[in-house]
Amino acid sequence: MGQLNFDDILKYILFQVDDNWQHVTFRQTERCTDCSDKPCLTSCPSGVFSWNSIAGDPILIAYKQCVECGICRLICNNIEFSYPHGGFGVTYQQG
Amino acid sequence: MSTGYQKIKPHKLVIPSTITPKTTKKKYDAIVVGAGPAGSTAAYFMAKEGMNVLLLERGPYPGAKNCGGASIIAEATHKLFPNFWDEMDCERLVTSQSYWWLDETSAITAGFRSMRLAAAPFNRFTVKRPIFYAWLAQKAVTEGATLCLNHHVSHILWEGRQAYGVALSPPQDDNELLADIIIAADGANSLLTERSGLTPAVSPNHLSLYVKETIALSSDSIEERFNLKPGHGALIGLIGYPTAGFNGTASIHTFKDSISINIGMTITNYVQAGLPPFSLLARLKRHPVIDTLIRGGITTEYGSATIPEGGYTAIPKLIHPGVLVVGDAASLVNGTHGFNLAMWSGYFAAQTAINAKISGDFSIKSLHLYRQLLDKSFILQNMKHNAKAASFERDVPYFFSLYSHIANEAAFEITKVYTMPIKTKRKLVWKKIIGLQPITRILRDMWKGIKVLWGN
Repeated sequence: MGQLNFDDILKYILFQVDDNWQHVTFRQTERCTDCSDKPCLTSCPSGVFSWNSIAGDPILIAYKQCVECGICRLICNNIEFSYPHGGFGVTYQQG
Repeated sequence: MSTGYQKIKPHKLVIPSTITPKTTKKKYDAIVVGAGPAGSTAAYFMAKEGMNVLLLERGPYPGAKNCGGASIIAEATHKLFPNFWDEMDCERLVTSQSYWWLDETSAITAGFRSMRLAAAPFNRFTVKRPIFYAWLAQKAVTEGATLCLNHHVSHILWEGRQAYGVALSPPQDDNELLADIIIAADGANSLLTERSGLTPAVSPNHLSLYVKETIALSSDSIEERFNLKPGHGALIGLIGYPTAGFNGTASIHTFKDSISINIGMTITNYVQAGLPPFSLLARLKRHPVIDTLIRGGITTEYGSATIPEGGYTAIPKLIHPGVLVVGDAASLVNGTHGFNLAMWSGYFAAQTAINAKISGDFSIKSLHLYRQLLDKSFILQNMKHNAKAASFERDVPYFFSLYSHIANEAAFEITKVYTMPIKTKRKLVWKKIIGLQPITRILRDMWKGIKVLWGN
């Protein structure tokens, strides 16, 4: 089995997607430009944060694939995280 | 695929009956936030004593938001829910437990298997979270608790310094739900207690992130590969290689027709490692001793969840005016034990709430009973015993990986038959060991480890 990519992972997680509210955001997107580590890019278990590696371009937040572990807000104080509204978000079937 | 696995059967999920409260200012005796093991147990015992209980769950069913291979301790659960194994659909009765210390290509294994573990009242069962959580929530509902699914509590409402209810997120945000006591059972990374100003954010040193993969295999394959009697199960703790040079743990749980592989370490470790959490799973699945266990299996679900692993010293303040914090939200996890601590803390919180209702006093002083019950119980006594485990893992950050590697190297040389004389071979083994770590360091680290285990 080869290296996992997030597309593989996402095939095996069910979500109730909320199209109207984004529960993970950056407080100030400018601060990401100056951030040298960008720990959000590697630490998120479902690859919510992605960047095209071009200086000045923003980090994208694919909040619809968030599994709600909430670690992003603990590794970066520029990330604002709340749980999705009632009924939305990840729905594990197998436990 | 020769595993005999035919199709992936959806688990039968009994969704407990629910109602949405119509009146906006209805007052309850107690509101429980989170229908997990801690919250549903608290709701059950309060409702059983005639309290008017509202149980709020943000997911569309109990267990939707948590994952990771799971087993419940029979005795601890049986004392709260007698003969639960007759009511709940347990997956497998665990009769085989082992630890495997892995390095890149090999494993040293130590295990225990016994049919004595299969005699009632049993020892451990593996469970699927959605089935277990739904069963517990349904018990609370049967006793009269009102369960509302799809309800996310945003914060606790205060009158002066006394809690008097909770506010909900949209679309129910015009509702204020009122109660004399709020039980916060919203899990690890409790935003409810944090955003209500009760506890600071959990430290990344004290929270572990686990990734899991569920792999479907036929029941026969599982029993054959893990050497099990029909219906019996195995738990394997994996140490060393799975966490890529960092301290952390991994495990394999066997279910009826699937197994799960779980790997976890602290958030601080992930940041330092710079490794995407799921890459640890792919790496472990390729390991030669793991590959043969899962061969031909079909992945059915990935997932990731956090577990508080800061231990005794990381427990936040658990009692506030009109609020009790239970389960993972209270960091009540001790090594591999979480469910029983969650359920018992929920039970103690229920006892405290019942007592407070009788006296009509919901002050900190009255609710202090909760802490007394926890202090006297196995929960805090065992957590105190292991209090230094978390700081030990930070203090000796290479412990699991380096010593698993050294042990595997030594075991290889001992196992390998050479033509050299025994004396020469002993020297070779010894040089190999001390070439990897000076003997004074080894002895110091082992001594530290023994002290932590001993509880000093």
